[in-house]
This record gives sequence, C-alpha cells and structure tokens, in this order.
Amino acid sequence: MPATLTSQRFKVQSLDEAMELCYAKGWSDGLPVVPPTEAGVRAMLDAAKLAPDTQIGYLSHRAVSITAEKVAINAVMAGCKPEYMPVVVAGVEGIADDRWSYHGPGTSTGGAAVLMIVNGPIARELDINAGDNLFGPGWRANLTIGRAVRLVMRNVAGSLPGLLDRGTVGHPGKLSYVIAENETESPWTPLHVERGFRPEQSTVTVMAAESPHQFYNQLSSTPEGVLTTLADNMRVSGNVMGQPNYCLVIAGEHMRTIAGGGWGKKEIREFVWKHTQNSHAHLKRTNRMTGAIQADDEQKLRPLVASPDDLLVVAAGGRAGAFSCFIPGWSSAKTSQAVTKEIKR
Amino acid sequence: MIEILDPTVAASTQPIAFAPRPRALEGKRVALIENTKYNSDRLLARIGDMLKEEYGVAEWKMYRKHNAGVPAHQEIIEAIKTSADVVVAGIGD
Repeated sequence: MPATLTSQRFKVQSLDEAMELCYAKGWSDGLPVVPPTEAGVRAMLDAAKLAPDTQIGYLSHRAVSITAEKVAINAVMAGCKPEYMPVVVAGVEGIADDRWSYHGPGTSTGGAAVLMIVNGPIARELDINAGDNLFGPGWRANLTIGRAVRLVMRNVAGSLPGLLDRGTVGHPGKLSYVIAENETESPWTPLHVERGFRPEQSTVTVMAAESPHQFYNQLSSTPEGVLTTLADNMRVSGNVMGQPNYCLVIAGEHMRTIAGGGWGKKEIREFVWKHTQNSHAHLKRTNRMTGAIQADDEQKLRPLVASPDDLLVVAAGGRAGAFSCFIPGWSSAKTSQAVTKEIKR
Repeated sequence: MIEILDPTVAASTQPIAFAPRPRALEGKRVALIENTKYNSDRLLARIGDMLKEEYGVAEWKMYRKHNAGVPAHQEIIEAIKTSADVVVAGIGD
C-alpha cells in the first residue's frame, strides 16, 4: 500500500477544464500546465524513490516545508518526464540551502532566476542540451526541469510575481534556465569535479542569476584575445559594486581557441578576474561608487568579483559561431552563493 | 472525470507572541535596524531624530544587518533586547 498523497483534490470533467482550473487557481506561470493527476505524481515520486512526505527543503523565513509530494505535483505540471524528477529535487535542495539564501533571490527587485547547470552522466541520459541554442527552445528536459523548480518557488514558497517576487524587470530565464556542460567535447575539468564531486557523479549547480550576456570575438586565435573581449564586455556588467558570482559559458569555437592555447579553467578565471577590474575613478564617474574622485582613484582598482574562484566556468553552447556569454550573479557572493548538489537516483 | 492535486502549500503555523506595545514613546530607547542599502542609514537617522524631537524618545542607536537579503542576525537581536524598548525595522528600495 503506497503512502497516501495528502494534497487537496479537485474534480473536473475534462482536460481543458483541468488546465483552466490551474489558471483560475493561480498555479500556472502563464503557460498551460499538465494537470497533476495522482498517477502522474506517483510516477514522479517512484522515479526519484521518494516517499511523498519526504522533506526536500525547509525555508525557515517562510516557515515552509517543501515535500516530495509538492515537488512531484509541480514537476508534473511543468511537463517533466518522471526520470527528470531527481534533477528537479536536487535543484530544489540547492535553492533551499542556506548558502543560496532563498529569501533574497526569491523575492528581490534584482530579478534573479535560478540558473541550473547539470553535470555528470545524467545530463547525457536525459538529453539535457549542452550545445546549439543553449538557452533557447527545443529541449524538453531543459525547459521543463527549470520550469518545475520555478513552479515550486511560486506554488510552495509563495514567490508570486508582483507579490513576493518583486523583480523589477526580471528576465525570460525565470521561466526555465537549465543547461548542461558539454563534457563530451570539453577538454577541461567539468564544473562539478572542480567543486569537489567525482566525474561519474551527477550534480546540479544552482546560481541566482541575471540573463545571459552574449559577446562576439571572431578575430582572435589566442586565449588572451578571446578573453580580452569577454573581459571588456563584462567589466561593468551586473552588480559591479556587489561582487557576485559570475558564470562564464564558453561555446565551441572559443573553447577550441582557448584550449588550443593550452589554457584550462584556472587560467581563464585568473585572466578574467585580473582584466575585469575597474578604477575607483570610473566607478565614481559612472555613479556606481559613492563619493568625490580622489587623487589616486585612477590607479585604485576594484575587482568585479572578490576572487577568481567566484567565476564559474562552463563549456557549453554550439560548435559553430564566435559567440560565448557571461552571466552575472544576483546581488553579491556574500548574499547568495552558487550551490552544487548531487542528483540522487 | 479527472481529479487533480493542489500544488500549493500553506505556511505552517507558528506561535508568535508580540511584545507589549508601549502606550507612548516618551523616554523610550529606540533601535534602528539598517539593511545596508544606500541611504538607508541616513533615512533611519532622520527617523530617529524625528522620534526624539517630536515624540520625546530618550535615544536611538543604529544596528546594521549583514546585508539586505538576510534577516537580522542573532548578535544584534540579542543586543537590541537589552538596549532598546522600541525597534524600527524596514526594507526599502
């Protein structure tokens, strides 16, 4: 006898009526949802081997316990396949982690989305896109896993846009913002291994994040050349004074150029950290730093992030095209840190 | 017929006891909790001064949170318990 599902039940006559009820109840992100039936919810729980009353996370400031049952219901609504459920669960564990600090990115006018970077074998098994059109449409796993996490934020944590979620402009990544690292073609150490996991483990890294900022460099055949363009675009992005995490997403052509020059992720981080510093004079002239310009302010430099380790480097994106991107984190690394969780199966 | 499940949850209830409200502010000690946002200290200092000038509070003292995205930390809560009768806390953008 499987454990009882305790959520309230609503009876409707048709599929259309079920979808409209979800809108009427305020359970949708704006797109149609898959009506969460008991069979669908149980398939999710079974795939993740979770009892419905298992607590996935607890948000103390909201006094909300996020149970497996509620995660499963929202995963069904998002359109997930049951085998995606362990990734959704790991993502929810990540945003409920104290280091991610839900209270800020779940509510802030800064409009953070949950960037989710999937590493390890599960990314290939579930066909989570790591290539062409990385942040765009076309892959069910990418679009529904992130949507499920955002629906949990809405329906369980109460981050309702315009009420608790007060993002001033927000961005489309708040619908879903999931990528995988292209471990098959990358010559570099995968993100999860850099963050202390084994290559054969599967993980999801969550980062409170702005939208992707694309940059273009078709001229250079050296790591320094490509990364000089990146650093120039990046230097005054995001919360310059907050020093948050950044994610650097290096796509195929740039990856081959940079790796061809013998550089790994450590060298990328150090170069970008060094070349994204702003003078105090510039920060004051552009109304980012307070106070009058002092005599030595042209020489005084402030790094964009506190440490090179605050830069997360991910190999992903299409093989062709001289484009890559950087993603500024929300607020500051002191306020919300990127968190990596193992995907348990 | 289709039966669907509610994806939402109500926050668990917590017993919250409110401190007794003072009948007047005259002679009271005021704690101001500053959330680190730009100008929030100036705004609160002005509020503190107005409370002194117009309501006769005895003094005000400002406490700074670690940052705007987190609740006030235990250390300042403990300090406020012993040093203040009234607290002004808020968040502004």
